[in-house]
Amino acid sequence: MRALQGLRGRRAPSLPLLLLGLLAAVRRSLEDGLSTAAPFTSLPVQEEMTTKYSNLSLESHSISMTEHSNMPVEKNITLERPSNVELTCQFTTSGDLNSVNVTWKKGDKLLEDNYVVNATGSILYTQYRVAVINSKQMGNYSCFFGEKKQQKGTFNLKVPEINGKNKPLITYVGDSVVLMCKCQDCLPLNWTWYSGNGSVQVAIGVPVNDKYVISGKHANETGLKITQLSEDDQGTYWCHAIFELGESEGHVKLIVLSYLVPLKAFCAIAAEVVLLVAIILLFEMYTQKKKKPSDDGKELEQGEQLKLDDSNGIENSGPRHRKNESVGQ
Amino acid sequence: MAYRAEAPDGGWGWMVVLSAFFQSALVFGVLRSFGVFFVEFVTAFEEPAARVSWIASIGIAVQQFGSPVGSALSTKFGPRPVVMTGGILAALGMLLASFATSLTHLYLSIGLLSGSGWALTFTPTLACMSRYFSRRRSLAIGLALTGVGLSSFAFAPLFQWLLNHYAWRGALLLVSALSLHLVACGALLRPLSLAEDPVVGGPGAQITSLLRHGPFLRYTVALTLINTGYFIPYVHLVAHLRDLGWDPLPSSFLLSVAAISDLVGRVASGWLGDAVPGPVARLLMLWTTLTGVILALYPVAETPTGLVALTVAYGFTSGALTPVAFSVLPELVGTGKIYCGLGLVQMVESIGGLLGAPLSGYLRDVTSNYTASFVVAGAFLLAGSGVLITLPHFFCFSAPASKPQDLVTEALDTKVPLPEEGLGED
Repeated sequence: MRALQGLRGRRAPSLPLLLLGLLAAVRRSLEDGLSTAAPFTSLPVQEEMTTKYSNLSLESHSISMTEHSNMPVEKNITLERPSNVELTCQFTTSGDLNSVNVTWKKGDKLLEDNYVVNATGSILYTQYRVAVINSKQMGNYSCFFGEKKQQKGTFNLKVPEINGKNKPLITYVGDSVVLMCKCQDCLPLNWTWYSGNGSVQVAIGVPVNDKYVISGKHANETGLKITQLSEDDQGTYWCHAIFELGESEGHVKLIVLSYLVPLKAFCAIAAEVVLLVAIILLFEMYTQKKKKPSDDGKELEQGEQLKLDDSNGIENSGPRHRKNESVGQ
Repeated sequence: MAYRAEAPDGGWGWMVVLSAFFQSALVFGVLRSFGVFFVEFVTAFEEPAARVSWIASIGIAVQQFGSPVGSALSTKFGPRPVVMTGGILAALGMLLASFATSLTHLYLSIGLLSGSGWALTFTPTLACMSRYFSRRRSLAIGLALTGVGLSSFAFAPLFQWLLNHYAWRGALLLVSALSLHLVACGALLRPLSLAEDPVVGGPGAQITSLLRHGPFLRYTVALTLINTGYFIPYVHLVAHLRDLGWDPLPSSFLLSVAAISDLVGRVASGWLGDAVPGPVARLLMLWTTLTGVILALYPVAETPTGLVALTVAYGFTSGALTPVAFSVLPELVGTGKIYCGLGLVQMVESIGGLLGAPLSGYLRDVTSNYTASFVVAGAFLLAGSGVLITLPHFFCFSAPASKPQDLVTEALDTKVPLPEEGLGED
């Protein structure tokens, strides 16, 4: 009882002290808030967010700049599933660090909280934390240093890219083809296919029929099988991969030729070959005909010479006869 | 019909060289560049690469084993109708292949049909060319065989372009049209009647007399041994370089360098074979021994410069031995029996060719590097050159007695060995 009374008693005189302390703290916090609003007010929010999404993985990325950087520095970050993201910008300058103004922007919108600034030595660090849970948090986050000569660093948060095919697929009328889209290291939630005519995209496979079959052996790839191809099926086909954080697309170009296209080339070349053969054989017949009359002429000469030789002697006709034979060939 | 006493050594013979040039391009250039199609077949038929590569193996095997048929028919009917028929068969095979719906169709159409078409074209043409030339035979053969190397350079990009624009069905259709030019090449092969033709008789008689001819048999054994070792570097060089740590691009570039020096070697050796007096077999032994030594040195070379130098030397010497190998045959058996002789030699040496690469692969699997493979290849080549020493007139220093009159008298004993095209194929 005496303890309780003592407590009550002790409390009563310390109440004004508490109030004073509270006022001082509030004032201090207000002062602190005025000078560096970010570190103070962001801290409780950060803690709240990290406790809410502490089961998500953490991704940390950083870029560094100097005051003399000519080109804006960019970093591409690929995110597939919801995670906590820490973006750090380092700024090295020879001047006074405290006078450098630090701001963060998402796209064009200025960000008020969720970031801290501190300086060690001659490097200024600023870190932005965001819990990326849906597509609204994706986009470009930029950190800005300085007022007059602003240095900008950008983090591009994107969903993974899809690989379609760069070369067009060539098929023939009546064939069937499988169009493939693949994602290297990611597992989309779902795949959808669209056929494109210009900028308009029409969904495929919504009425399930025999012509289009969507399948995929693994989760990171999808295949659209088209049967009974016709020339109307030509064009670009788009595959959309759906993630929790957004959509990504790839495209495959399909060309459908008719059999007549190579067949015409084949017939042209075959006709050329027939022409060549005809020319060669006709040339040979022509030269042989040319030889034959001359052969007759030579044979006549041989006959006359033989007659002459006969008068000289039979032995001369032998070698000459052989020589004429070889010449005649 | 009047028979020539001597080979023309020129004149229409150069048209035959042109025909042989295009034929070696259309047969072996197409075979070598077919790898471009294989990639498409793997995706189109969803079969593993090993099964797809059987297409080329069947084609080569049919071409080599069918050579005696081609040469026997040429002896009977002359080269022209046989080659033209072969061209039509080869083109037909490719045409049917463009409609294929399974890999078996390709085995039958490209492997069997086109392969037999090729069997009917190449051997008779080479034999025909050997008949047209005697003094400049090696040069003619060397020039004709350059078609193989040059076409490999041209056809691989051409086939890729065809595939990009027409897909594999249309591309096969156009390769079939390309192969139709074999018919035009066949039309160029004007028949030549040489003095010893009536003496040597029909194909059956020729083959039996060839099989009893000692030098021909020894020559066939030598060429089989040479063929066993010949292909191994072409098949395994890139893999060997990758084992040593080379990147893929410089490795295949080195293979192209070997192909260029192979081309130079063929022409140079062809010219040399005619310029140097005495039996051509000696030059063949020289080139074969050099190639064998170079192959045996491969495991020793580790530095890039050493490997490049060895590869250039290998390309030159292995290219050099091809035209000379073909020229020895007419000297051995005479030009009358050359069709049948060439066919027989091709068939037997193809066994060496078919065994060489798998044997080398097996050795590599057992010893885990290519040292044993290269040394064994070199050993086969040296053994082959050793057998060559046993050929007649080897140690003579005068011009070989290959005059037609002598050949007529020897015709009943000698058989005409045909150039091994096996050495030209890859």
